[in-house]
Amino acid sequence: MNKFLTKKLSIISFIFIPIIFLWNPNWLGFLGVQPYWPLFWLLPWSMINGSISGLIFGLFLGLILDSLTLNQSFTQIPGLIFCGFLFGRIKLHSDILLGHFRYGLICSLGSFLCGTFYFLQILFRNFSDSNSLMLIPSVKNILAEVFLTGFFAPFICSQLLRMFKFSRRKI
Amino acid sequence: MLGIRRISTSRWWHKKKNWLFFAIFLFLVFVRISKGAFYKDFYYFISKPFWPGQFQKEIVFESINQEYLIKLNLLKKDNIRLRQILSLQESSNDEHISAAVISRKTGSWWRQIILNKGSKDGVEIGNIVIGPGGLLGTVKNTSLFTSSVTLITSPESKIGVWVDRIQINGLLVGLGDDYPSLIIYSKDADIKVGDFVSSSPASTLLPPNIPIGIVLSVDETLKLKKTAKISLLAKPHVIDWVQILKGNI
Repeated sequence: MNKFLTKKLSIISFIFIPIIFLWNPNWLGFLGVQPYWPLFWLLPWSMINGSISGLIFGLFLGLILDSLTLNQSFTQIPGLIFCGFLFGRIKLHSDILLGHFRYGLICSLGSFLCGTFYFLQILFRNFSDSNSLMLIPSVKNILAEVFLTGFFAPFICSQLLRMFKFSRRKI
Repeated sequence: MLGIRRISTSRWWHKKKNWLFFAIFLFLVFVRISKGAFYKDFYYFISKPFWPGQFQKEIVFESINQEYLIKLNLLKKDNIRLRQILSLQESSNDEHISAAVISRKTGSWWRQIILNKGSKDGVEIGNIVIGPGGLLGTVKNTSLFTSSVTLITSPESKIGVWVDRIQINGLLVGLGDDYPSLIIYSKDADIKVGDFVSSSPASTLLPPNIPIGIVLSVDETLKLKKTAKISLLAKPHVIDWVQILKGNI
Protein backbone atom coordinates (compact mmCIF):
# COMPACT_ATOMS: atom_id res chain seq x y z
CA MET A 1 0.00 0.00 0.00
CA ASN A 2 2.78 2.36 1.02
CA LYS A 3 4.70 1.47 -2.14
CA PHE A 4 1.60 2.08 -4.26
CA LEU A 5 1.07 5.49 -2.66
CA THR A 6 4.71 6.44 -3.28
CA LYS A 7 4.51 5.32 -6.89
CA LYS A 8 1.26 7.09 -7.66
CA LEU A 9 2.02 10.26 -5.71
CA SER A 10 1.68 12.48 -8.76
CA ILE A 11 -1.72 11.05 -9.73
CA ILE A 12 -2.99 11.20 -6.14
CA SER A 13 -1.97 14.85 -5.88
CA PHE A 14 -3.69 15.46 -9.26
CA ILE A 15 -6.99 14.19 -7.80
CA PHE A 16 -6.76 16.70 -4.96
CA ILE A 17 -6.45 19.79 -7.21
CA PRO A 18 -10.23 20.11 -7.71
CA ILE A 19 -10.76 19.70 -3.97
CA ILE A 20 -8.39 22.61 -3.23
CA PHE A 21 -10.02 24.56 -6.05
CA LEU A 22 -13.39 24.10 -4.30
CA TRP A 23 -11.99 24.64 -0.80
CA ASN A 24 -10.71 28.08 -1.81
CA PRO A 25 -9.42 29.16 1.62
CA ASN A 26 -10.19 32.84 2.28
CA TRP A 27 -7.15 33.39 4.48
CA LEU A 28 -4.86 32.64 1.53
CA GLY A 29 -6.54 35.23 -0.65
CA PHE A 30 -5.61 38.73 -1.71
CA LEU A 31 -8.37 41.18 -2.73
CA GLY A 32 -10.71 38.20 -2.56
CA VAL A 33 -8.70 36.36 -5.23
CA GLN A 34 -6.98 33.00 -4.76
CA PRO A 35 -3.80 31.66 -6.36
CA TYR A 36 -4.39 29.62 -9.52
CA TRP A 37 -3.98 26.18 -7.95
CA PRO A 38 -3.74 23.91 -11.05
CA LEU A 39 -0.50 25.57 -12.19
CA PHE A 40 1.31 24.48 -9.02
CA TRP A 41 0.78 20.87 -10.07
CA LEU A 42 1.11 21.37 -13.83
CA LEU A 43 4.54 23.03 -13.68
CA PRO A 44 6.48 20.20 -11.96
CA TRP A 45 4.55 17.56 -13.92
CA SER A 46 5.34 19.15 -17.28
CA MET A 47 8.97 19.85 -16.36
CA ILE A 48 9.51 16.18 -15.59
CA ASN A 49 7.32 14.57 -18.28
CA GLY A 50 7.68 16.98 -21.19
CA SER A 51 5.48 19.17 -23.37
CA ILE A 52 3.08 16.57 -24.78
CA SER A 53 2.30 15.12 -21.36
CA GLY A 54 1.92 18.66 -20.02
CA LEU A 55 -0.46 19.49 -22.84
CA ILE A 56 -2.57 16.38 -22.21
CA PHE A 57 -2.77 16.92 -18.46
CA GLY A 58 -3.51 20.60 -19.06
CA LEU A 59 -6.53 19.41 -21.03
CA PHE A 60 -7.50 16.96 -18.26
CA LEU A 61 -7.23 19.67 -15.61
CA GLY A 62 -9.26 22.04 -17.75
CA LEU A 63 -12.00 19.43 -18.23
CA ILE A 64 -12.31 18.81 -14.50
CA LEU A 65 -12.13 22.45 -13.39
CA ASP A 66 -14.61 23.55 -16.06
CA SER A 67 -17.09 21.01 -14.79
CA LEU A 68 -16.73 22.38 -11.25
CA THR A 69 -17.31 26.00 -12.23
CA LEU A 70 -20.69 27.15 -13.44
CA ASN A 71 -19.54 29.46 -16.22
CA GLN A 72 -20.74 27.44 -19.19
CA SER A 73 -19.76 30.06 -21.74
CA PHE A 74 -16.11 30.29 -20.71
CA THR A 75 -13.42 27.64 -20.40
CA GLN A 76 -10.05 27.29 -18.68
CA ILE A 77 -8.86 24.63 -21.15
CA PRO A 78 -6.94 26.84 -23.67
CA GLY A 79 -4.89 28.51 -20.94
CA LEU A 80 -4.03 25.26 -19.19
CA ILE A 81 -3.15 23.46 -22.45
CA PHE A 82 -0.86 26.30 -23.46
CA CYS A 83 0.77 26.43 -20.02
CA GLY A 84 1.22 22.64 -19.96
CA PHE A 85 2.98 22.79 -23.33
CA LEU A 86 5.07 25.81 -22.36
CA PHE A 87 6.13 24.39 -19.00
CA GLY A 88 7.29 21.20 -20.71
CA ARG A 89 9.86 23.18 -22.68
CA ILE A 90 11.52 24.40 -19.49
CA LYS A 91 14.55 22.51 -18.27
CA LEU A 92 15.38 21.89 -14.63
CA HIS A 93 17.99 24.28 -13.24
CA SER A 94 21.05 23.07 -11.38
CA ASP A 95 21.09 26.03 -8.99
CA ILE A 96 18.44 25.15 -6.39
CA LEU A 97 17.93 28.68 -5.06
CA LEU A 98 17.63 30.17 -8.53
CA GLY A 99 15.27 27.30 -9.41
CA HIS A 100 12.87 28.32 -6.62
CA PHE A 101 12.59 31.86 -7.94
CA ARG A 102 12.17 30.57 -11.48
CA TYR A 103 9.09 28.59 -10.38
CA GLY A 104 7.58 31.81 -9.07
CA LEU A 105 8.24 33.71 -12.29
CA ILE A 106 7.07 30.87 -14.55
CA CYS A 107 3.87 30.32 -12.56
CA SER A 108 3.20 34.08 -12.58
CA LEU A 109 3.54 34.08 -16.35
CA GLY A 110 1.30 31.00 -16.62
CA SER A 111 -1.32 32.56 -14.38
CA PHE A 112 -1.20 35.75 -16.44
CA LEU A 113 -1.72 33.76 -19.65
CA CYS A 114 -4.60 31.71 -18.22
CA GLY A 115 -6.25 34.81 -16.74
CA THR A 116 -5.85 36.71 -20.02
CA PHE A 117 -7.33 33.84 -22.06
CA TYR A 118 -10.30 33.73 -19.72
CA PHE A 119 -10.75 37.50 -19.69
CA LEU A 120 -10.62 37.62 -23.50
CA GLN A 121 -13.43 35.07 -23.66
CA ILE A 122 -15.55 37.22 -21.32
CA LEU A 123 -14.74 40.33 -23.38
CA PHE A 124 -15.58 38.54 -26.62
CA ARG A 125 -18.89 37.28 -25.18
CA ASN A 126 -19.90 40.78 -24.06
CA PHE A 127 -18.53 42.56 -27.12
CA SER A 128 -21.85 42.59 -28.96
CA ASP A 129 -23.68 44.10 -25.96
CA SER A 130 -21.26 47.09 -26.01
CA ASN A 131 -20.77 46.45 -22.29
CA SER A 132 -17.19 45.31 -22.72
CA LEU A 133 -15.66 48.54 -21.37
CA MET A 134 -17.35 47.97 -18.03
CA LEU A 135 -15.31 44.80 -17.62
CA ILE A 136 -11.96 46.59 -17.62
CA PRO A 137 -11.80 47.01 -13.78
CA SER A 138 -11.97 43.24 -13.38
CA VAL A 139 -8.41 43.06 -14.76
CA LYS A 140 -7.47 43.36 -11.08
CA ASN A 141 -8.48 39.68 -10.79
CA ILE A 142 -5.66 38.76 -13.18
CA LEU A 143 -3.11 40.93 -11.39
CA ALA A 144 -4.00 39.64 -7.92
CA GLU A 145 -3.92 36.06 -9.19
CA VAL A 146 -0.53 36.59 -10.86
CA PHE A 147 0.92 38.00 -7.65
CA LEU A 148 -0.44 35.21 -5.42
CA THR A 149 0.48 32.40 -7.80
CA GLY A 150 4.02 33.75 -8.13
CA PHE A 151 4.28 34.16 -4.36
CA PHE A 152 3.26 30.60 -3.46
CA ALA A 153 4.84 28.79 -6.43
CA PRO A 154 8.41 28.57 -5.04
CA PHE A 155 7.15 26.83 -1.89
CA ILE A 156 4.63 24.47 -3.46
CA CYS A 157 6.23 23.68 -6.84
CA SER A 158 9.64 22.80 -5.42
CA GLN A 159 8.04 20.41 -2.92
CA LEU A 160 5.88 18.80 -5.60
CA LEU A 161 8.85 18.53 -7.97
CA ARG A 162 10.86 16.77 -5.26
CA MET A 163 7.95 14.40 -4.58
CA PHE A 164 7.40 13.59 -8.27
CA LYS A 165 11.13 12.93 -8.78
CA PHE A 166 11.16 10.70 -5.72
CA SER A 167 8.18 8.67 -6.93
CA ARG A 168 9.78 8.23 -10.38
CA ARG A 169 13.05 7.07 -8.87
CA LYS A 170 11.22 4.31 -7.02
CA ILE A 171 9.69 3.03 -10.28
CA MET B 1 8.66 -12.07 -41.63
CA LEU B 2 10.41 -11.02 -38.46
CA GLY B 3 10.21 -7.41 -39.61
CA ILE B 4 6.46 -7.60 -40.17
CA ARG B 5 5.90 -9.06 -36.74
CA ARG B 6 7.95 -6.28 -35.17
CA ILE B 7 5.81 -3.65 -36.92
CA SER B 8 2.57 -5.30 -35.91
CA THR B 9 3.56 -5.51 -32.26
CA SER B 10 4.45 -1.83 -32.18
CA ARG B 11 0.94 -0.63 -33.04
CA TRP B 12 -0.48 1.93 -30.65
CA TRP B 13 -3.26 -0.35 -29.44
CA HIS B 14 -0.71 -2.87 -28.21
CA LYS B 15 0.65 -0.36 -25.72
CA LYS B 16 -0.87 -0.59 -22.27
CA LYS B 17 -0.02 3.08 -21.61
CA ASN B 18 -2.23 4.31 -24.45
CA TRP B 19 -5.21 2.36 -23.13
CA LEU B 20 -4.54 3.83 -19.68
CA PHE B 21 -4.61 7.33 -21.16
CA PHE B 22 -7.81 6.48 -23.00
CA ALA B 23 -9.41 5.22 -19.78
CA ILE B 24 -8.39 8.41 -17.95
CA PHE B 25 -9.81 10.47 -20.79
CA LEU B 26 -13.11 8.57 -20.67
CA PHE B 27 -13.26 9.12 -16.90
CA LEU B 28 -12.72 12.85 -17.40
CA VAL B 29 -15.40 12.99 -20.06
CA PHE B 30 -17.72 11.30 -17.54
CA VAL B 31 -16.75 13.93 -14.94
CA ARG B 32 -17.41 16.67 -17.51
CA ILE B 33 -20.80 15.29 -18.51
CA SER B 34 -21.88 14.79 -14.91
CA LYS B 35 -20.72 18.38 -14.22
CA GLY B 36 -18.35 17.28 -11.47
CA ALA B 37 -21.18 15.78 -9.38
CA PHE B 38 -18.89 13.03 -8.17
CA TYR B 39 -16.28 15.55 -6.96
CA LYS B 40 -18.85 17.80 -5.35
CA ASP B 41 -20.40 14.91 -3.43
CA PHE B 42 -16.95 13.77 -2.36
CA TYR B 43 -16.18 17.31 -1.22
CA TYR B 44 -19.51 17.32 0.69
CA PHE B 45 -18.35 14.41 2.82
CA ILE B 46 -14.78 15.54 3.49
CA SER B 47 -15.78 19.13 4.29
CA LYS B 48 -18.63 18.09 6.64
CA PRO B 49 -16.62 18.54 9.87
CA PHE B 50 -15.76 22.12 8.89
CA TRP B 51 -19.22 23.46 8.04
CA PRO B 52 -20.02 26.88 9.49
CA GLY B 53 -21.56 27.12 12.92
CA GLN B 54 -23.80 29.71 14.59
CA PHE B 55 -21.55 32.74 14.52
CA GLN B 56 -21.18 36.07 12.67
CA LYS B 57 -24.28 37.24 14.57
CA GLU B 58 -23.49 40.94 14.39
CA ILE B 59 -23.00 41.06 10.64
CA VAL B 60 -25.98 38.82 9.99
CA PHE B 61 -28.39 40.75 12.29
CA GLU B 62 -27.31 44.11 10.91
CA SER B 63 -27.94 42.91 7.36
CA ILE B 64 -31.27 41.36 8.38
CA ASN B 65 -32.46 44.61 9.99
CA GLN B 66 -31.48 46.56 6.90
CA GLU B 67 -33.25 44.04 4.70
CA TYR B 68 -36.46 44.10 6.80
CA LEU B 69 -36.64 47.89 6.83
CA ILE B 70 -36.32 48.06 3.06
CA LYS B 71 -38.75 45.18 2.58
CA LEU B 72 -41.30 46.82 4.86
CA ASN B 73 -41.07 50.05 2.90
CA LEU B 74 -41.50 48.18 -0.36
CA LEU B 75 -44.44 46.17 0.93
CA LYS B 76 -46.26 49.33 2.05
CA LYS B 77 -45.81 50.85 -1.38
CA ASP B 78 -46.84 47.59 -3.01
CA ASN B 79 -49.96 47.46 -0.87
CA ILE B 80 -51.01 50.92 -1.98
CA ARG B 81 -50.29 50.06 -5.59
CA LEU B 82 -52.27 46.82 -5.28
CA ARG B 83 -55.28 48.62 -3.95
CA GLN B 84 -55.11 50.92 -6.90
CA ILE B 85 -54.44 48.40 -9.62
CA LEU B 86 -55.74 45.08 -8.22
CA SER B 87 -53.77 43.04 -10.75
CA LEU B 88 -50.21 42.71 -9.45
CA GLN B 89 -48.12 39.56 -9.91
CA GLU B 90 -48.05 37.49 -6.72
CA SER B 91 -45.20 35.48 -5.36
CA SER B 92 -45.26 32.69 -2.80
CA ASN B 93 -42.04 32.48 -0.81
CA ASP B 94 -43.43 30.18 1.84
CA GLU B 95 -41.21 27.24 1.05
CA HIS B 96 -37.70 28.00 2.23
CA ILE B 97 -34.81 25.58 2.56
CA SER B 98 -32.00 26.65 4.90
CA ALA B 99 -28.57 25.64 3.66
CA ALA B 100 -24.98 26.14 4.76
CA VAL B 101 -22.28 27.39 2.41
CA ILE B 102 -19.68 24.63 2.11
CA SER B 103 -17.56 26.10 -0.69
CA ARG B 104 -17.20 29.69 -1.70
CA LYS B 105 -15.58 31.30 -4.71
CA THR B 106 -16.32 34.98 -4.38
CA GLY B 107 -13.15 36.39 -5.90
CA SER B 108 -11.59 36.06 -9.33
CA TRP B 109 -13.73 35.07 -12.35
CA TRP B 110 -15.59 32.17 -10.82
CA ARG B 111 -18.22 33.60 -8.53
CA GLN B 112 -20.20 30.74 -7.08
CA ILE B 113 -21.10 29.12 -3.79
CA ILE B 114 -21.82 25.46 -3.11
CA LEU B 115 -24.55 24.64 -0.59
CA ASN B 116 -25.03 21.51 1.50
CA LYS B 117 -28.52 20.85 0.16
CA GLY B 118 -29.03 19.10 -3.15
CA SER B 119 -31.64 17.36 -5.24
CA LYS B 120 -32.22 14.95 -2.33
CA ASP B 121 -33.65 17.89 -0.35
CA GLY B 122 -35.78 19.12 -3.21
CA VAL B 123 -33.51 21.86 -4.55
CA GLU B 124 -34.07 22.44 -8.25
CA ILE B 125 -32.19 24.29 -10.98
CA GLY B 126 -33.44 27.85 -11.19
CA ASN B 127 -34.33 28.20 -7.50
CA ILE B 128 -33.52 31.60 -6.02
CA VAL B 129 -30.98 31.90 -3.21
CA ILE B 130 -31.19 34.73 -0.69
CA GLY B 131 -29.00 35.53 2.28
CA PRO B 132 -29.09 38.09 5.09
CA GLY B 133 -29.44 41.33 3.12
CA GLY B 134 -31.15 40.07 0.00
CA LEU B 135 -30.56 38.28 -3.28
CA LEU B 136 -27.41 36.21 -3.76
CA GLY B 137 -27.97 34.28 -6.98
CA THR B 138 -29.71 31.35 -8.61
CA VAL B 139 -29.14 27.61 -8.44
CA LYS B 140 -27.46 26.56 -11.67
CA ASN B 141 -26.53 22.99 -10.93
CA THR B 142 -27.50 20.32 -8.39
CA SER B 143 -25.97 17.03 -7.33
CA LEU B 144 -27.50 14.58 -4.87
CA PHE B 145 -26.14 16.35 -1.77
CA THR B 146 -25.06 19.77 -3.06
CA SER B 147 -26.25 22.63 -5.18
CA SER B 148 -24.11 25.22 -6.97
CA VAL B 149 -25.23 28.81 -7.04
CA THR B 150 -24.12 31.41 -9.59
CA LEU B 151 -23.75 34.69 -7.73
CA ILE B 152 -25.09 37.92 -9.19
CA THR B 153 -21.50 39.19 -9.33
CA SER B 154 -20.55 36.43 -11.83
CA PRO B 155 -19.82 37.54 -15.42
CA GLU B 156 -22.55 35.11 -16.51
CA SER B 157 -25.27 36.72 -14.42
CA LYS B 158 -27.79 39.08 -16.03
CA ILE B 159 -31.02 39.86 -14.20
CA GLY B 160 -33.84 42.34 -14.47
CA VAL B 161 -34.01 44.82 -11.58
CA TRP B 162 -36.22 47.65 -10.41
CA VAL B 163 -35.09 51.08 -9.20
CA ASP B 164 -37.84 51.98 -6.79
CA ARG B 165 -37.39 55.78 -6.44
CA ILE B 166 -37.59 56.50 -10.16
CA GLN B 167 -39.85 53.52 -10.95
CA ILE B 168 -37.77 52.16 -13.80
CA ASN B 169 -36.53 48.74 -14.90
CA GLY B 170 -32.87 48.03 -15.56
CA LEU B 171 -30.47 45.20 -16.22
CA LEU B 172 -27.99 44.12 -13.54
CA VAL B 173 -24.86 42.61 -15.11
CA GLY B 174 -22.13 40.80 -13.15
CA LEU B 175 -18.64 41.89 -14.12
CA GLY B 176 -16.42 39.51 -12.17
CA ASP B 177 -15.80 42.00 -9.35
CA ASP B 178 -17.73 42.76 -6.15
CA TYR B 179 -19.82 45.53 -7.68
CA PRO B 180 -22.18 44.48 -10.50
CA SER B 181 -23.23 47.12 -12.99
CA LEU B 182 -26.75 48.41 -13.48
CA ILE B 183 -27.61 49.39 -17.06
CA ILE B 184 -30.59 51.63 -17.65
CA TYR B 185 -31.46 52.03 -21.31
CA SER B 186 -32.67 55.58 -20.97
CA LYS B 187 -30.46 58.63 -20.95
CA ASP B 188 -33.07 60.66 -19.05
CA ALA B 189 -33.35 58.33 -16.06
CA ASP B 190 -32.68 60.35 -12.90
CA ILE B 191 -30.69 57.69 -11.07
CA LYS B 192 -28.71 58.91 -8.05
CA VAL B 193 -26.14 57.56 -5.62
CA GLY B 194 -27.99 55.88 -2.75
CA ASP B 195 -30.95 54.69 -4.82
CA PHE B 196 -32.24 51.30 -3.78
CA VAL B 197 -32.36 48.43 -6.28
CA SER B 198 -34.61 45.38 -5.93
CA SER B 199 -35.69 42.52 -8.18
CA SER B 200 -38.04 43.64 -10.90
CA PRO B 201 -41.79 42.99 -10.61
CA ALA B 202 -41.69 42.40 -14.36
CA SER B 203 -39.04 39.67 -14.15
CA THR B 204 -40.06 36.14 -15.02
CA LEU B 205 -36.97 34.63 -13.38
CA LEU B 206 -37.09 36.23 -9.92
CA PRO B 207 -39.84 36.91 -7.40
CA PRO B 208 -40.53 40.66 -7.12
CA ASN B 209 -39.16 43.01 -4.45
CA ILE B 210 -36.18 41.02 -3.21
CA PRO B 211 -33.64 43.61 -2.01
CA ILE B 212 -30.44 43.59 -4.07
CA GLY B 213 -28.31 46.65 -3.45
CA ILE B 214 -27.71 50.36 -3.37
CA VAL B 215 -26.30 52.58 -6.13
CA LEU B 216 -22.67 53.37 -5.38
CA SER B 217 -21.72 55.54 -8.35
CA VAL B 218 -23.30 56.63 -11.63
CA ASP B 219 -21.56 56.80 -14.99
CA GLU B 220 -23.18 59.14 -17.50
CA THR B 221 -20.51 59.12 -20.21
CA LEU B 222 -22.39 56.79 -22.56
CA LYS B 223 -24.73 58.31 -25.12
CA LEU B 224 -27.79 56.08 -25.04
CA LYS B 225 -27.76 54.58 -21.58
CA LYS B 226 -26.72 55.14 -17.99
CA THR B 227 -24.68 52.70 -15.98
CA ALA B 228 -24.23 52.52 -12.23
CA LYS B 229 -22.11 50.48 -9.83
CA ILE B 230 -24.18 48.62 -7.25
CA SER B 231 -23.08 47.78 -3.73
CA LEU B 232 -24.80 44.52 -2.76
CA LEU B 233 -26.72 44.27 0.52
CA ALA B 234 -26.02 40.56 0.90
CA LYS B 235 -22.28 39.90 1.27
CA PRO B 236 -21.52 36.50 -0.27
CA HIS B 237 -17.96 36.44 1.09
CA VAL B 238 -19.11 36.41 4.75
CA ILE B 239 -22.50 34.70 4.66
CA ASP B 240 -22.47 31.14 5.98
CA TRP B 241 -26.18 30.36 5.92
CA VAL B 242 -28.60 31.04 3.08
CA GLN B 243 -32.22 30.39 2.17
CA ILE B 244 -33.26 28.65 -1.02
CA LEU B 245 -36.68 29.77 -2.23
CA LYS B 246 -38.41 26.69 -3.55
CA GLY B 247 -41.69 28.16 -4.68
CA ASN B 248 -42.04 29.10 -8.31
CA ILE B 249 -43.09 32.56 -9.35
